[in-house]
Amino acid sequence: MQGVICRDVEMEFATAAGPYRVLKGIDFEARAGELTMLVGPSGCGKTTLLSIIAGLLRGARGSVRVFDEEVTSQDAAALVSFRLRNIGFIFQQYNLLHGLTATENAAIPLVAADMPWPGASARAATLLKKLELGAHLEKLPRQLSGGQQQRVAIARALVNEPRLLLCDEPTAALDGSAGQAVMELLRELAVRPGRAAIIVTHDPRVFAFADRIVHMEDGRIQRVEAGRSAGAAAVTSRS
Amino acid sequence: MIRVAFKILLHDSAKFLALVLGIAFASLLISQQAAIFHSVMESSARDIIEASEADIWVMRPSVETIDQPDQMPELTVQRVRSADGVEWAVPYYQSVARLRTAGGVTKSVAVIGVDDASLVAAPRVMLIGSIEDLRQPDAVILDAAGFASIFPGVPQRVGDVVEIGERRARIVGISAIGPSWTGLPRVHARRSLATELARESSDSVTFVLARARPGRSADEVAASIGAETKLKAFSRAGFKAVSQEWVLLYSGVAENFGITILMGVVIGVAIVGQTFYMFSVENLRQFAALKAIGVGNRRILAMISVQALFVSAIGFSLGIGVASLFFAVFSPQLTGGLRGMFMDPAIFAGTGIFVVVVTLLSCVVSARRVFTVDPAVVFRS
Repeated sequence: MQGVICRDVEMEFATAAGPYRVLKGIDFEARAGELTMLVGPSGCGKTTLLSIIAGLLRGARGSVRVFDEEVTSQDAAALVSFRLRNIGFIFQQYNLLHGLTATENAAIPLVAADMPWPGASARAATLLKKLELGAHLEKLPRQLSGGQQQRVAIARALVNEPRLLLCDEPTAALDGSAGQAVMELLRELAVRPGRAAIIVTHDPRVFAFADRIVHMEDGRIQRVEAGRSAGAAAVTSRS
Repeated sequence: MIRVAFKILLHDSAKFLALVLGIAFASLLISQQAAIFHSVMESSARDIIEASEADIWVMRPSVETIDQPDQMPELTVQRVRSADGVEWAVPYYQSVARLRTAGGVTKSVAVIGVDDASLVAAPRVMLIGSIEDLRQPDAVILDAAGFASIFPGVPQRVGDVVEIGERRARIVGISAIGPSWTGLPRVHARRSLATELARESSDSVTFVLARARPGRSADEVAASIGAETKLKAFSRAGFKAVSQEWVLLYSGVAENFGITILMGVVIGVAIVGQTFYMFSVENLRQFAALKAIGVGNRRILAMISVQALFVSAIGFSLGIGVASLFFAVFSPQLTGGLRGMFMDPAIFAGTGIFVVVVTLLSCVVSARRVFTVDPAVVFRS
């Protein structure tokens, strides 16, 4: 089952020196039930592609379908609802709300979808306990370590059972062991039948958790490798 | 999401306090300056306000303000009484005279002569004595602030004999009257005595106070008095406005207070607007994260509005509370420039509305920043 299908996606930004093409005809797929990693040097367009798939960045040419729903043709209001229904985010800097407890942070997507606080908090707390944060439910983000904060972010991303999980450098702010632990949790909780997960990363230590690794360079897909199950053998390559 | 808005707002207590204090300071500045200005303007029409029984004031055409009385013959009262729509009309006398105490203290005082028969325009609030005491020989009523200025350190009392205009007068009562524009002590007496105290002829009248018949408006009757007598006649409210306009035009008070109030408003807008705007901008990344998750602009606007209204309500309450305390402390004092100053309910409400409107406007400006923020900013470290 195809989760995300991008066809001939192009994106330009206006700069003082004239238009700058960030994405130059991207064809990309992320299958449901798999963890796809998007890797490449800084500035190659990984985060831009992620933002377009998420419906955070508009104005791209080409087609981006997320579980058969075309993203590029939706207006801003429709994209807000689309994100709430379909996408869970995990950010490099966690982006937890400072004044909210771990439980409240994790419950935000449910409350935004109009679930009353008591039910949302209970569901968030259950997930946090699975993430071994049972002793930290009422703590504020500043009272948690980086790894704990990222686990709260994982709970927030998964609490409303999104069909697509988008992660931007989820281990970049963590030390080696905390990064491994976060990836193990993502592998265990995020990769499910009917759910696609895309991780943008620079961190080669986490490549082993991928089902497929998509290499980008200069706004183009360079090659696609099989990840842990395929022994990192090249699946396709393009120049 | 309202709960989230409150949590974001209250999380950083230092920022929250800065917001509340900023709005409190702006509320204090605006309400206090506006109240002082309003009190000064009220003082410029003090005698019109005090003579509340009369709803029409009649005077010579040359008179421009309550503080520029001009003599008229007593017969004028009869002419006004005979005008269409007049219920009653009484003479009123106003002048300035020199008061000397037994101890040799001399002061200029405002002498106000009220109708001998009806005592219309006598002080409404008496601290000691009664207005009926004015019917006694040589009787005058002195206002409390005037007593404090003439007899410093002496407890309020009646019975002192003074000389006004080289004529004997006996203080039979102490009245409570708000401050006047001139700041002179106010001496009320029957008109027949007041003219003697001011060394004028006994049939002098400076204004005629009248009342419109039931069912007739004061403005309408004033117009008919003007047409029939060729004198100038205003309703009470009209004469108050004319007198205050004169003060505004010729005293410089409008320029001075106008600049002060304008500064208060500008500083208030700057503090309220800038503080709240900065607060929202500092939370831009958190709002961007909410947008990325799927919280729409309308909800974010509601969150920011709730924050703005909550902060402005607390800040306003604090600021107006301090301003009220200021007037509560200084207003009852019998000496000093702030005597009798007060905050009109309209200023209270107006400041509140102003603070809320400015906060909401800054919230709209902040929301525009939030609306236009690229939610992809959350992907940047």
